[in-house]
Amino acid sequence: MSQPADERRAADRLLAGVVRHGGGWVVALAVATTLTALAEVLLPAALGRAVDAALAGTETVRWASACAVLIAVCIAGEALGDLAAGMSRARATAWLRHALLDRLLAIGPRATRRFEPGDLVSRVVANADDVGNAAAAAAMAAAAALPAVGSLVALALIDPWLAAAFLAGLVLLATALRGFVREASDVTGRYQRVQGTIAARLLDALGGARTVAAAGTAGREVERVLGPLAELREHGFAMWRTQTRMTVRGELIVPLLEVVVLAVAGLLLTWDRITLGELLAAGRYAVLGSGLNAVVLFANRVVRGRAAARRGAEVFAEPPAVYGTRRYGAPDGPGRGCLELCAVTARVAGEPVLIGIDLVVPAGVAVAVVGRSGAGKSLLAALAGRLVDPDEGVVVLDGVPLHELDRAALRRAVGYAFERPVLTGDTLADAIGFGVAASSPGRPERVREAARAACADAFIRRLPQGYDTPPERAPMSGGEVQRVGLARAFAQAERLLILDDATSSLDTATELQVSRALAEELGDRTRLIIAHRAATAGRADLVAWIDGGGLRAFGPHRELWRDPAYRAVFRPADALEPAVS
Amino acid sequence: MRTTTGVTRVLLTTLRGHPRDLVRLAGWSVVEVIPVYVSGRAIALAVDEGFRHGRLEVGLGWLGLLAVAVLAGAIAVRRIYLLLASIVEPFRDELVRRVVAGAVHRAATGDDPPGAVGVARLTRQVEVVRDSFAGMVMVVRGFAFTVTGALLGLLSLNPAVLAFVVPPFAVGLGVFLASLSTLAARQRRLTLADEEVAGAVGALTGGLRDIVAAGGEDRTRASVGARVDAQAAATRALAWLTTVRTFALTVGGWLPVVLLVIGAPWLLRRGASPGSILGALTYILYALQPALQTLVHAVGGSGLQLAINLGRIIETGHTEPALPASARTGPAARTEPECGGPGPDRQGAARRAGHDLELREVTFAYGPHVEPVVEHLDLTVPAGDHLVIVGPSGVGKSTLALLMAGLLSPQSGLVRLGGVPVAALDGAYRVLIPQEAYVFTGTLAENLTYLRPDAPAPDLDAAVELVGSRPLVDRLGGYDAIVAPSALSAGERQLIALTRSYLSPAPIAILDEAACHLDLAAEARAERAFARRPGTLVVIAHRMSSAMRAARILVMDGVSTQLGDHSNLLASSPLYQDLVGHWGTSEPALLAGDPDGVDAVTGPRFVDDPGQVIADGANRQA
Repeated sequence: MSQPADERRAADRLLAGVVRHGGGWVVALAVATTLTALAEVLLPAALGRAVDAALAGTETVRWASACAVLIAVCIAGEALGDLAAGMSRARATAWLRHALLDRLLAIGPRATRRFEPGDLVSRVVANADDVGNAAAAAAMAAAAALPAVGSLVALALIDPWLAAAFLAGLVLLATALRGFVREASDVTGRYQRVQGTIAARLLDALGGARTVAAAGTAGREVERVLGPLAELREHGFAMWRTQTRMTVRGELIVPLLEVVVLAVAGLLLTWDRITLGELLAAGRYAVLGSGLNAVVLFANRVVRGRAAARRGAEVFAEPPAVYGTRRYGAPDGPGRGCLELCAVTARVAGEPVLIGIDLVVPAGVAVAVVGRSGAGKSLLAALAGRLVDPDEGVVVLDGVPLHELDRAALRRAVGYAFERPVLTGDTLADAIGFGVAASSPGRPERVREAARAACADAFIRRLPQGYDTPPERAPMSGGEVQRVGLARAFAQAERLLILDDATSSLDTATELQVSRALAEELGDRTRLIIAHRAATAGRADLVAWIDGGGLRAFGPHRELWRDPAYRAVFRPADALEPAVS
Repeated sequence: MRTTTGVTRVLLTTLRGHPRDLVRLAGWSVVEVIPVYVSGRAIALAVDEGFRHGRLEVGLGWLGLLAVAVLAGAIAVRRIYLLLASIVEPFRDELVRRVVAGAVHRAATGDDPPGAVGVARLTRQVEVVRDSFAGMVMVVRGFAFTVTGALLGLLSLNPAVLAFVVPPFAVGLGVFLASLSTLAARQRRLTLADEEVAGAVGALTGGLRDIVAAGGEDRTRASVGARVDAQAAATRALAWLTTVRTFALTVGGWLPVVLLVIGAPWLLRRGASPGSILGALTYILYALQPALQTLVHAVGGSGLQLAINLGRIIETGHTEPALPASARTGPAARTEPECGGPGPDRQGAARRAGHDLELREVTFAYGPHVEPVVEHLDLTVPAGDHLVIVGPSGVGKSTLALLMAGLLSPQSGLVRLGGVPVAALDGAYRVLIPQEAYVFTGTLAENLTYLRPDAPAPDLDAAVELVGSRPLVDRLGGYDAIVAPSALSAGERQLIALTRSYLSPAPIAILDEAACHLDLAAEARAERAFARRPGTLVVIAHRMSSAMRAARILVMDGVSTQLGDHSNLLASSPLYQDLVGHWGTSEPALLAGDPDGVDAVTGPRFVDDPGQVIADGANRQA
């Protein structure tokens, strides 16, 4: 069994599942579109009979009612079909989106290592809609195909010559429209390039907003950005000319096709081979039959839905993280936060980065993790709080292996601060308290305390709406965002606090203050600090030095400092690089 | 609702701007509709006078006439498209102008500028408006002419037929038009719901690590899930209304057919010819029904797109000058008067004595109920001074720079230059270099002479030499080389901005961490160049080394400030000590483990390290 075949099968299973979740509406859709299509095919024939009957003066009521019934079916079928398409699409899309969200959150940060975040958005937003729309598209493709094919059959039944005339005209149509697509895409490409130039210049100018404001050159900037506008207009006109050619051909071909079929029908009428009503029907079938290109349109949507299902299935192929059920007992005073890594091996993209690490961090101790960039420091941090699982070995916090812990208990015990935290929550207060259950008593106080400890309180209070400022509307520097991220971790962690390069953008004075808070208010928790600066490592009780996939040394900074290789870990970063993120 | 009228007004103004094109458009529309008018009659006559009586040549003759009319119609369509292009393309230009001017002016007055995603969205909106506007003009015009042509044709065939056709057609059209405003509201709701879902999912995937680390899965799941459900509800609400639309369409298009078929025997008895029945059916099936269908689909689809997207462009666009500062919630920035590029220092606006910059009792806060960033600040920067401002990140150094530059207005107090409030001056008295150095795609010379377009070549050379950007200029291939900002490093962009500002004729230069991406030596060289430049220099320090080069240093610690030089501040300001990393013996516990303090032989001199970073660099947005 080949892998692509498996993937295709998984995608089709997903597509089928999504269609099933459209529920009764999918059935209604299929019934409605089929009935409408049948009625449409039968209607011209019935109309023809009705006209013939009226001329003959016999069976008039019978054929007029047949027409009325068929038209009623068309009306009801189309209305029901539109409704069912919308309803099934809404249900199926929402079901798939919910399932994808569940899975994404269950996979956790691994998901964004496997897929780009923006790519995931398109899978949940655009692709899910394409999948949800596939059922409706399939029904509509069938419904569009039926009248087109049925018309040809009907023409042949009236008289084979009519079908032949129609087919000859159709070949003409296809030939005339061919070749347009390439020309059109060239012209469109040129137009879009100029559009891109204007967009890029605008982005430049917006990036320099402060300079522009200070120099008072906004008007000049506008003109500079709009420089290529004349060229854009030129390409715009070229697009119109191309489109005009295509439209004119389209406008010509369908009516001419009808005229050709009518002429043949007229000839047959003079020979008495067909009736007047059949001439009417033939003209109608010629128009219905040329609607074949709608089939292509809907078929394309089905194909797109299937491709989209494949992208969804890729997300479901990623297994979710499984949590245990164990919890910690009541808070048991000092001695909390003892972290053990036992023979831990972790791989990134199949390559082992950490190999057989054994490390015991005693409760309430501050440990700095140092190592050259790429040594696996952040991976170690992720393992210590189960943002990733080790490939081998086990991580234990206060006697409980992390994978046996209940999810809520795990997150209450461990708090993370990152180099570039992403702030979630409606307000800054909410963002800081994000890791604290909304129901837990004293949450507002905990938020304020944590903000003070992280030196975030003062600048937050100066924001336009203080703590109620939505994070995305707060103008914050990299260092200020880091401080809010620190506060969030401080408020959350009850046993283990993990700082993954979380003070890299702070100025020296602020970092010093945060260090004091870490040593004092937060001193009862175990702290795991990924450090790039020697000073940060120097302030920790112990240093874990990661090198070559293993734990090269574990001891106080002062002792390790004697080793020139250890000092070299900090040298390039501290000596040259201005610590600006 | 205000936007709706705005949309209508803009569209009408656009159309009114092309009176001659509109007349021609109407003329060609008449030609376009000829095949519609001819179709029913030609078929009726072809049958009645030709095929039914075995006169093949007469029947084919009438059909041939129809074919000729179709050709004439196609020629008209061609002309109509080209006329449409000459209305739509200038309209698109106008939209692009509006969007660009709006974005640039808003960004320059302190509003959050749209990022790459925002710019992409604006581009898409303009295109949607262009396409849907063209589509609407085509469809509405086509509908009006086609329906008129078909009704005239019906009238000429047999006036009695109109009674079978017009009432149901009018009812269908009426039902659709009546549902239009609700349809628009629901379509808008769906568009917003779609955007909400995309935004929420984007926040989720972008913050997945943080959400999981904080154990916020359930909360996030609930809030994003609620948006997914709201989007599904909006889709369903629209589907119900679409049904009404479809119903209107089928009633208006099909009911006339039913009535005509039922009434055909009666019509024939009253002397209508068989061909005229066929002709009437032709008008209904091939003219009225498709015209109504196209109108309903176009108005319900691209018409609503047009309204929604044009409404957004109008809301965010720019035609008149930007809003006054008081109307915004953001920082109370002052709209910078256009000065057409700062020429030589102008005395025009107000007569001032010298270039002493004074701040008197200045208080500034970013909102009415929040703590001030600067409070009762008194500071005099005499002409020719070299002042460095230091303080922890976020303390308000950049805010102070903006106040000095007159880009922010204090709530109380005065900022004066030579005794004249800076608000009364044009911007040419100072040059402000922010952290995010602005380089645009253009020649290097254009970038360097941005603030002094008439700079003579020797001055340009001197500036390049002194600031230290000669190697960069050479690497890029001289002044005429085209530079692309994305191809430059942050440091290289700062070198260009520094050189440009050095060349500016402004007597006061304010550097807001303007060299934070340069290495120590390059920063020192650039700052020394500015120190020797005639005029006043104010530096927001990124590294403490800047402070050591200054004549005077202002330490900002919350709203309290302290002015002095390096040695007396080191003695008197604990914050200054912290910033310098000179912790003395005040924190023995923290210093105990620091080998840099004990191992003086091998360690770098961490204390007094002039490279110590004291501010946290870029990314600040407002």
